[in-house]
Amino acid sequence: MPSMDSSKGTDEISFNMMNNTNEGLVRLGKNNKVEDGMATKMTQSKDGKTWTFTLRKGAKWSNGDEVTANDFVYGWRRTVNPKTGDQYSYIYSGIKNADKIINGKKAVNTLGIKADGKYKLTVSLEKNIPYFKYLLGFVPFFPQNQQFVEKQGKAYGTKSSAVLSNGPYTLKKIHDQVVADSNTALNQFQSGKLDAATLTGQQVKNMLSKKNMVVRPMGRLAYLEFNRKDKKVGKAFSNVKIRQAISYALQRKQLVKNVIADGSLVAPGFVTKDLAKNPKTGADFTEDADADGVGISYDKAKAQKLMKEGLKEVGLKKLEFTLSADNTPQEKNTAEYIQSQLQKVFPQVKVENLSLPYKTRLQRSASKNFQAVITLWGADYADPSNDLNIMTSDNPQNNGSWKNAKFDKYMDAANNAGANEESERWSNMVKAEQELMKDQGVVPLFQTSKPQMMNPKVKGVIYNTAGTPFNFKEMYVVK
Amino acid sequence: MARYLGKRIFYLVLTLFIVTTITFFLMKLMPGTPLTNQEKLSPEQIALIYKQYGLDKPVWVQYIDYLINATHGDFGTSFQFSDQPVSYLISSRIGASVQLGAQAMVIGVIIGIVVGAFGAVKRNTWMDSATTIISILGISIPSFVLAVVLQYFLGLKAGWFPIADWGGFSYTVLPTLALAMAPLAESARFVRTEMVDVLSSDYIELARAKGLSKTGVIYHHALRNSLIPLVTIIGPLAVNIMTGSMVIENIFSIPGIGNQFVQSVLTNDYPTIMGLTIVYSFMLTIVLLLTDIVYGIIDPRIRISGSRG
Repeated sequence: MPSMDSSKGTDEISFNMMNNTNEGLVRLGKNNKVEDGMATKMTQSKDGKTWTFTLRKGAKWSNGDEVTANDFVYGWRRTVNPKTGDQYSYIYSGIKNADKIINGKKAVNTLGIKADGKYKLTVSLEKNIPYFKYLLGFVPFFPQNQQFVEKQGKAYGTKSSAVLSNGPYTLKKIHDQVVADSNTALNQFQSGKLDAATLTGQQVKNMLSKKNMVVRPMGRLAYLEFNRKDKKVGKAFSNVKIRQAISYALQRKQLVKNVIADGSLVAPGFVTKDLAKNPKTGADFTEDADADGVGISYDKAKAQKLMKEGLKEVGLKKLEFTLSADNTPQEKNTAEYIQSQLQKVFPQVKVENLSLPYKTRLQRSASKNFQAVITLWGADYADPSNDLNIMTSDNPQNNGSWKNAKFDKYMDAANNAGANEESERWSNMVKAEQELMKDQGVVPLFQTSKPQMMNPKVKGVIYNTAGTPFNFKEMYVVK
Repeated sequence: MARYLGKRIFYLVLTLFIVTTITFFLMKLMPGTPLTNQEKLSPEQIALIYKQYGLDKPVWVQYIDYLINATHGDFGTSFQFSDQPVSYLISSRIGASVQLGAQAMVIGVIIGIVVGAFGAVKRNTWMDSATTIISILGISIPSFVLAVVLQYFLGLKAGWFPIADWGGFSYTVLPTLALAMAPLAESARFVRTEMVDVLSSDYIELARAKGLSKTGVIYHHALRNSLIPLVTIIGPLAVNIMTGSMVIENIFSIPGIGNQFVQSVLTNDYPTIMGLTIVYSFMLTIVLLLTDIVYGIIDPRIRISGSRG
């Protein structure tokens, strides 16, 4: 159990625990529906830059203290305080002065959050953040009891006696260790000791016929990135036809069904399925963007033709490159599939595989020390911009240095000038996604999933694909 | 004896220092950051957090800082377990590992001695062959395979013991068995060979000729003399158990330090890697030191030559 400190946690386990023992201003329900949390009323100013919240009276911390507006001010300030070293503080970007405070250029108390008495809270933003309401239900925005945190000092959040909660459940005891071995978890599930167990690889195949298996899609995408700055193959990867050819050559259905076979889904585009819905029609973002029609379907003849033309355009006869991937079974198998598939479809292409430990892969991607790499990206909040923003030309996560003026323009409009107008913003993001897919700036491979065995007697579990996956507030067990 | 001990303790400290130094610099060669949210952070954000933790300083400065802090009992704070002090992380987990290791060692060696002695006494009968087969299997089956087999049959199918977790004696049975098999087999094989040797030696013949009973000879002369060399393999066996426990703890979800060690290496959790390296090397050198001392007690020849050297 890594951390129960909302200014420190970064992993899914910590987030799940805090989400169910604590409560932010709002709580994210089914399909990321924003439900009342600590705030009973919230209003946004016309320009979208000021939010005011009225807090529930009489809400208590588990030590009996009342939860007040000050607890939010303290918690938020502590998260952006560079001394805390929170690895999620960047998510505050857009709240007044947050970036400057994180960079140590402004005092912590200049953060755009103010308590007005015990039950009123005002938040000022630098610009309208359309997805702000989702952030309010995300763990790094949870309140903290100043007196308690300061009294616990370094121990805060590290053991059950050094944790306070204000949410649906109270933490009695931190079960020291998470079941790390998936075989053990499955055995424990089958003996009735666990109510849920996450499966991996081969286990999924073995359990598919059992009715207690649930496959939950995650807001996490695996995609192929090409390094346009690479000395040897950068020129080839800068050619749109070559990128398109690679995408058309992949049979994603075969990949997820026969190769990975752990319940992962065919990539619906760059933005994942079940992440965000059209605010007007309720259609899933992936349906509106329909990336399938613009470049990620399998078409061997088209792929071969594009590759031939592309190579001719850049003056090459052959394309040889190294494909890096994590050394996990999922990524290794995917890399091997890509290698064999590309070499089968294109006689001119030769792929070499390089399997790396996760941290090494990240390091190499960040320092542009790769030719092609399988990257994974997961969304923290239910808005397509959380995925799309990393592909803008100046984003540090755009490892392959893909640059497309149209895409940048659409995203700029969605994030800035057009941020206040919901449906216009939506259509800008749809256009951006379509541009990315037409250009195959990256080649989407699959959307990861969480295959689980679930005790059918446990009901009311709310699962979301982005941010904190599990909300147990309405969970119950039938006899 | 005091001089002998003093010299051994000096070597112990020296060994610890060398291990610490090598580990520190090797660890810094590993690519990647210790940050747990690295894939979401930009290089600037990483640089900021690095500054916060003093990781932006040159490696040798970090090394000296570490040594100074460590001698004051401050082993830093963990990255994977956001800011938990490494000393707390280790102290709250080491109990389970030590208990498991000690149980496996004691049970393994005792049963091993019995099995080995039995085999030697009943040499060249079917019972001897049975003990040989047991020790060959014990040596050749890796502990993690045995662990999964035990977990499945005795835990899930028969339901006699908990499948995993930690909390009371019944939880320790399966992991102890899985870990104890290797020392059991090793010591059984060792004791059998030694005892066969001893049983055919002249002084045993003499003892028998003096009119001592067969059990008396086996117990007083043969067993004691064949156990002396066994002490020399206790050290390597302890190493075996320590490395084996890393996997076993993972399989049985035991909150120990073995599992923690593997995780800290995979996540570049520098302070935890260092803390656990020191703990492991300390335990190892202590086991080796104890082995030497015990050996001296059992075999007076070593004690005498030791005090001279």
